[in-house]
Amino acid sequence: MSTTTAPVISAWTAISPFGPDRVCFAEGVRSRRVATAPPDPDRWSRVPEAMAGTVPGFEPREYLGNKGTRAMNRVSGLTVVAAKNLLADLEVPPGAARDDIGFVLGTTTGSAQSMMNLTRASLTGDKPDHVEPAAVPGCVMNCAAGQAAIWHGLKGPNATIAAGRTTGLQALDYSRRLLRAGRAARVLCGAAEEYSPARSWVEHHRRGGPAARAMGEGCAMFLVEPADQVPAGRTVLATLAGSDSRVCLDGYLPGAITAAVRSMLTRAGVGAHRVWAATGGDFLDTNGNAVESAVLRELFGDEVVDRVPDSGLIGDTSSATALFQLAAVLSVAEGAGRGDRDHAVVTAVDDDGSVACALFELGGSR
Amino acid sequence: MPSQPADPGRRVVITGLGVVSSIGTGVAEFSAALRAGRSNVRPISVFDTTGFEHVNGCEVTDFEPERWIRQIDFEELGRASRFSTAAARLALTDSGLSQEALAEARCLISVGSTDGESHELDQLVSMELHGGPESMSPRLARRISAGRLATSIARELELSNVETSTIVTACSAGNYAIGNSFDAIRFGDADYALCGGADAVCRKTFTSFYRLRSIAPDCCRPFDRNRMGILTGEGAGILLLESLESATARGARIYAEVLGYGLSCDAHHPVAPHQGGIARCMELALANAGVKPGEVDLISAHGTGTKANDLTETAAIRDTFGERPPRVVSMKSMLGHTMGAASALAAIGCSVAITDRFIPPTINHVETDPECAIDCVPNTSVEADLRIVQNNGWAFGGNNSVVLFGRYDGQAVGV
Repeated sequence: MSTTTAPVISAWTAISPFGPDRVCFAEGVRSRRVATAPPDPDRWSRVPEAMAGTVPGFEPREYLGNKGTRAMNRVSGLTVVAAKNLLADLEVPPGAARDDIGFVLGTTTGSAQSMMNLTRASLTGDKPDHVEPAAVPGCVMNCAAGQAAIWHGLKGPNATIAAGRTTGLQALDYSRRLLRAGRAARVLCGAAEEYSPARSWVEHHRRGGPAARAMGEGCAMFLVEPADQVPAGRTVLATLAGSDSRVCLDGYLPGAITAAVRSMLTRAGVGAHRVWAATGGDFLDTNGNAVESAVLRELFGDEVVDRVPDSGLIGDTSSATALFQLAAVLSVAEGAGRGDRDHAVVTAVDDDGSVACALFELGGSR
Repeated sequence: MPSQPADPGRRVVITGLGVVSSIGTGVAEFSAALRAGRSNVRPISVFDTTGFEHVNGCEVTDFEPERWIRQIDFEELGRASRFSTAAARLALTDSGLSQEALAEARCLISVGSTDGESHELDQLVSMELHGGPESMSPRLARRISAGRLATSIARELELSNVETSTIVTACSAGNYAIGNSFDAIRFGDADYALCGGADAVCRKTFTSFYRLRSIAPDCCRPFDRNRMGILTGEGAGILLLESLESATARGARIYAEVLGYGLSCDAHHPVAPHQGGIARCMELALANAGVKPGEVDLISAHGTGTKANDLTETAAIRDTFGERPPRVVSMKSMLGHTMGAASALAAIGCSVAITDRFIPPTINHVETDPECAIDCVPNTSVEADLRIVQNNGWAFGGNNSVVLFGRYDGQAVGV
């Protein structure tokens, strides 16, 4: 059954450097605690930056047991745990075969560490095919989404989206489309990144030198469902009221972001005066300027932008940044008095020129 | 889960095709190669194959990126992004739509991929082994992000009002991207979509399949009693989709209509295909397209040429289509397994099969495996009047996607 009603977010979770669940994340955001620290030298050898945002004590087997986790990589572990937490909140029994639940996950490249390890093993082994067969499934970018489906019996549409730092918002839009087309009754939509030396070094070189901020990891995940399908007992936390995306061709990112946000607000019929919180992914241009927050301050004023702490508290989570910022919005909005300001804006920018933004109406009637 | 929507939205048609493949660049050359049953199997040259016993693959050997990539420096792009960008330029040219008209409309760029820029990632590992992680090339590192398979197209074609994402759902990703675009156009999220898939041959993936004992020693023989597995291939297939109203208004040539698609997840095994999961996917696609199994004239199979795939796929086809299924061909016999490009290139093959009225063959075929009781159109293409063609795609992770294409018979909109 297709639906034309706007999709809503009615549950969420996050596994992050603040801790393993939503409560930890919300507490960390509200207290504006910095969760980055020097990476544990016993666990992480030879990484380029001095600080990292890692999920405390996270190893997949510690969270999920020994069965099925021997060859599970970190990004899959983070995703499976986040999905486990969210499904538990929804009271979906473990292992229930559900062909009505879709799963959409954002990533940059899956596990760069798993991929590079396999190539390294091929180049350094006695023979080039002397690689660990159990490591093969972890070397495709959709490994985490497939693992989550296997662990939790999710047989609905299962997709993995890669769009740089705009990934989370593109994944939300893809989820909206699945619901609109009736391909799933509800969707778990998340984005995940793992901390690893491989990712850190690739990022280090991509940015052309020492990092301006620590690398972070985790998975933020949301239940997205049609507004008219929310069962009694579940609270609407936000409605996806609009979105926009574009590619900046002239190199002037502030112009592209401004145009995208303005166009989105106009189409949704929401004036800037109704925006309670606005937050971006702290994208830094080549001169180190925080492009997004400057634009958002111009559009909405300091108070609206300062309401939600910036994403750097947990480190740079790349493709997961936008959804972590959405989780931060929901954390701060919970129980807060908002007066007649009832919307939030989340932006994302990637250095390949892509820009995305989403508009959320906070709270709901149910 | 019923998938036939109450509101079917706008009809969606294919009006442009762009191909970069081991058997030809551009749709005319590609179609002729499919009709002739050509392949270009040769020893892999993209990476050092020393120490591997079997080294054949299906590389794109005559690719000249500067012919198609003019607006941006192709040296900034990884191998897969060069393929996707060139194929998008080819699709746009083929569609007869001007770049200016495309830029003025709302566009979606959705590219499927298995590996993104893993060929570049392999090279970073080589650098690391030689000189430590500090010695990796920044230029290579900047090519890695998989999202660039889509954003590079936007930059090359100077499209700003555009949604871009790469769908990295492994070897069915091309079908995912086409399906995403189908929904975006019929519901009005986009006026045009450039969609398909791209991948480049890389050491990581070759080694992975080799270790799983899935690489054929010489060539790919889907459904043959003596099949030995896949050959890794590469390339890109990009399709231009638009609404039927838009296509007829501008007098565009219509290759085929996208009738619908299905997605399912096996939730069963990370690498083994699952009969029930893929049968369910075919049923969802048929329901979404409003097509009965008996109306399908041809199935373009995932058809990798591994025992696990071919047995499972034919069994699932018989579950869905009964004892007398339509003809089932594998274009991978000619193209190799081009990973995220596979179902996109096959979709283009389906489109030209409908338009040019032929069925591409399954080549390298000697004797059909009695356990794969299908007519795979061995070795030689046949003339055929195809109305509805089904394109199968399965992937690691149990991610299944099937798209259905139909001949556009020129009926007015709404009839």
